[in-house]
Amino acid sequence: MHDFLFFAVLPYSSLAIFFLVTIQRYRQRTFTYTSLSSQFLENRWQFWASVPFHYGILGVLALHAAGLLLPRALLAWNNDLIRLYVLEVGSLGMALMALFGLVNIMLRRARNPRLRAVTTFGDWVIYVLLLIQFLTGIAVALFHGWGSSWFAVSLSPWLWSLFRLQPEVSFVAAMPLLVKAHIVNAFLLIAVFPFTRLVHILVVPNQYLWRKTQVVLWNLSRTRS
Amino acid sequence: MAFLAAGPLRSQAPPSDVYDDFRNNCASCHTIGGGPLTGPDLKGLTERTDRAWLHRFLSDPKALIDAGDPRAAQLFQEFRGSYMPTLPGMTAERIDALIDLIEYESGLEKSAFAGMRLPERPLTEADVLRGQALFLGDQPLARGGPACLHCHSTVSVPGFGGGRLGPDLSTVYARMEGRKALGAWLMAPPSPVMAPVFQRHPLEEEEVLGLVAFLQEESRRAGVEPVQGREVDLLLAGSSLAALVLVAFDFLWRRRYRATRRPLLESTRR
Repeated sequence: MHDFLFFAVLPYSSLAIFFLVTIQRYRQRTFTYTSLSSQFLENRWQFWASVPFHYGILGVLALHAAGLLLPRALLAWNNDLIRLYVLEVGSLGMALMALFGLVNIMLRRARNPRLRAVTTFGDWVIYVLLLIQFLTGIAVALFHGWGSSWFAVSLSPWLWSLFRLQPEVSFVAAMPLLVKAHIVNAFLLIAVFPFTRLVHILVVPNQYLWRKTQVVLWNLSRTRS
Repeated sequence: MAFLAAGPLRSQAPPSDVYDDFRNNCASCHTIGGGPLTGPDLKGLTERTDRAWLHRFLSDPKALIDAGDPRAAQLFQEFRGSYMPTLPGMTAERIDALIDLIEYESGLEKSAFAGMRLPERPLTEADVLRGQALFLGDQPLARGGPACLHCHSTVSVPGFGGGRLGPDLSTVYARMEGRKALGAWLMAPPSPVMAPVFQRHPLEEEEVLGLVAFLQEESRRAGVEPVQGREVDLLLAGSSLAALVLVAFDFLWRRRYRATRRPLLESTRR
């Protein structure tokens, strides 16, 4: 019963909130689609926060997407021990880098008075959820390996069963508690996504990864943001 | 009439979906008249056990064992302290259907579930090598199942070892007391994580024989060098990589605090 609630009801509820509120926000408050750069308030600590966080999380998310979209190819890659270790150590390294970045983001926001003043409750909700997500993900990688393989075998069919509107909860029902916590927290993140600064992910074109560094200033009034 | 109302006629073979249910969920640990495997031989079960108790046990075996039921506790001791898994979606009707099948098959001279479904030929060195290749993923499983290594490890897997989602299988051959129980288990893995996967991609007989031979060999090697601390090695490797990338970022963007203002000032001086 709990499994059905967490792995069928919760995913659909989260996705419904995600799509409905994201569209509503884009139509009614288009100019709030931003993460409001804080670079001009503090920019030395930011480098060790934002850069490792973003590159780390993008790498980890790319691997999750590969597990969902190319499960057979991922398994074929992992059928060689060396390749498996390269992939697992690589993704664990990226996750640890993202965690390092997130901890710096949280410390920077908490300890700098100017940044504290512009950090909202929604920001803290996101930071805490992300921290839980990173810690459970890293623990899963360490204690329940090799996730890049069994994600493709067990979680990918479950996710596709959700898309087909025929949820097969049995694929996740027997997973260890850490894996379940990681999944449930992921859907909580998706549910709060449209209410928070995370919407900046959807703003295209998204050239942050390869464009040259630049100074960013706010042009929004703080009372309206 | 009273006889008819009491339940289905025992002389009638149960429907084929009940056979499928038993084959997929019970036959990997139980025979009917073929001797014990991971669990007891179920021949004549209804003659020695009443239905009410079977209903309570099959609804949640672990709960009954943990509650201290003497009969459940005795079975638990007798079968190497392994819990029978609770079958997902178990209902009173399904339990009755399975008991009816056991009762019907017990009455036959030879049940469909009496014997081992694996060939009984002797295992060879070639089986061990094939089993090792299948375990490690060097040779893909014929029906598309994932290699064991993705979720399990054994003593001879080098480096960071195999997966840790499932248990280490170094001593599984000894734990299950040999080829018969292990082979039956692998023909239709009943564990809740493996069942949904291997019902779609079952192992072939020759693959099971290879894996049994490999795990028999691993059981002989096990205990020589216990493998521990692979999580720490993995954490160290991941942390080293993350630190290297951070150093690379620092180097790559070494002009990050001087790249905007200084060039602007220099251009105005020119």
